Amino acid sequence: MILLFSGVVAVLFGTGAFLMLKADLFRVVVGMVMISNAAILTLIGSGLSRGAAPIHPLPDERISDPLVQAMALTAIVIGFGVTALLLAIAYRVYTSHESVDLDELSREEVRREQELEREEISP
Amino acid sequence: MTLLVVPLAVVWLGAAVLALLDGRRRLVGWLAVGILAVNVFSLVALGVRVSEDGRQELVTGNWPSGVGITLAADELGVLFAVLSSAVLLVALLYEVLGGVRTRTFPALVLFMAAGLTGLFLTGDLFNFFVFFELSMIPAYVLAVYGGERRQIGAAFIFAVVNLLGSFIFLISVAATYHVTGTLDMGTAAERLAGAEPASVMLIAVGVFVAFGVKLGLFPFHFWLPPIYVGATPAVAAILSGALANIGAYGLLRFGAVLLPAELELGARALVVIGVVSILYGALQALSRRDVREVLAYSAIGQAGYILVALAVGGRVGFFAAVVYAVVNSANKALLFLAAGLRGWLVGAAFVVGAFSVAGVPPSAGFFGKVAVFQAGVAEESIALLVLLFVGGALSFVYMFQIYQHAFWRPEAAVGDVSPPVLRGLTLGLAAVVVAIGIWPEPLLALSGGAADLLAGASRGGGP
Repeated sequence: MILLFSGVVAVLFGTGAFLMLKADLFRVVVGMVMISNAAILTLIGSGLSRGAAPIHPLPDERISDPLVQAMALTAIVIGFGVTALLLAIAYRVYTSHESVDLDELSREEVRREQELEREEISP
Repeated sequence: MTLLVVPLAVVWLGAAVLALLDGRRRLVGWLAVGILAVNVFSLVALGVRVSEDGRQELVTGNWPSGVGITLAADELGVLFAVLSSAVLLVALLYEVLGGVRTRTFPALVLFMAAGLTGLFLTGDLFNFFVFFELSMIPAYVLAVYGGERRQIGAAFIFAVVNLLGSFIFLISVAATYHVTGTLDMGTAAERLAGAEPASVMLIAVGVFVAFGVKLGLFPFHFWLPPIYVGATPAVAAILSGALANIGAYGLLRFGAVLLPAELELGARALVVIGVVSILYGALQALSRRDVREVLAYSAIGQAGYILVALAVGGRVGFFAAVVYAVVNSANKALLFLAAGLRGWLVGAAFVVGAFSVAGVPPSAGFFGKVAVFQAGVAEESIALLVLLFVGGALSFVYMFQIYQHAFWRPEAAVGDVSPPVLRGLTLGLAAVVVAIGIWPEPLLALSGGAADLLAGASRGGGP
């Protein structure tokens, strides 16, 4: 079971990292979501155990680890909030630059730097 | 015991209430200042208690120890908590005096204060992550505050890179839980010492990457300059003076307390990364003309000193790392605030910060530099000492080059003179930096306590 989890986590993290290297902002956000889910799966995978719910455990009964579930829930909430925030920032980028392409943004940045340099040489 | 809860609860509740109010109104701004001041003073009181009676601990909800979540205050945590909250207070005061520009600013600063206070006072690994995120999310929003168009693109990259760092940290927390079966830092430290070295090494690398990103160390620094350059003075001071402390504290806490064997194993690599950071930051700063850009690259270089001191290890190394982190965050807050102002005496405040970065007595920076050199001597490496000296000399050159460029040229004098209250506040901060340099006893005593604690933990294999 742990092997299965680690395989899924590896694929998720790899795909997420690949998407994060794209120039399109929304792909970057989706990549971030995938990486956050990879982290959540790792959390669940870190405490895999079979057994009854530990509401009122009997001495000779196997119980499942409730802590990882609680942590995963918290991490899901944080990941959700962060995704909303990232989408909001991406939208702000779109409204102010009319583009969601990071290459476009950096070209604009280079142009600005060159203007600054020209000003410094001939004020 | 209540001293542990008060600083956290006050800012948290205050932030939740202020989030509903319009922060641009003066009254709301001053309310936020008042709440944050209560936080700072209760943290100072906690610090006094800790330095007299030793470590304070509280298990929430009256659970037996080991089951409930612990809040714990020791010298290291309290020192960083007081420092970060004080920097936040000064930055908030600066913004309230100068006029808040968006309705959410005071609430965001309070949320960040809640996150930072909790992070420095928690004894639980997963709570560390939660508070970590609680202090980072306001930072992502603040990064856009009052910025120009291009600032938004920089903020996006800032958010994405730091989130990646956070999730790598979360994976490390999960791995620690898998290996040790506990989230309590003390118990985890004991069990990690006996765990399989290969898996612990992976955890150590994950933790290092996560905090290296926060601190802006050399290979992880690319997000840092654009965000510091575009941010308003108060936000830049918050990011470099308060938020960057997470990186320094995390490296110290995790490196020295939880993973001492791995820290020792990787010491050489850390020294190399640290020295490269110092030189890279200094050389980049030397080639820039914009004040804030110079300060941003200087921040990368100064982070390198902290890492080198940490890698040297032992009491003298940890002592240097703590002192340097404290002094550096005060310097950066002062310099970023002063760089945004114009008028009489602003240059004086800036030059105090510049002296402090260069390590000239009687400023606070002198003791930071002395401590780092002591660490270099303890390492008995001439190459390291020479490199530390070159880094220091370069910082002297770039700080005064930019001081001249920003304050001595006739063209630089144009622009509106800033309000006297803001100049007074910045000058007050400069006076504090000088005061620490003249009377360093409290800082050195607390840092010494923290270093004893770290050195004891790393020698004994657990606290």
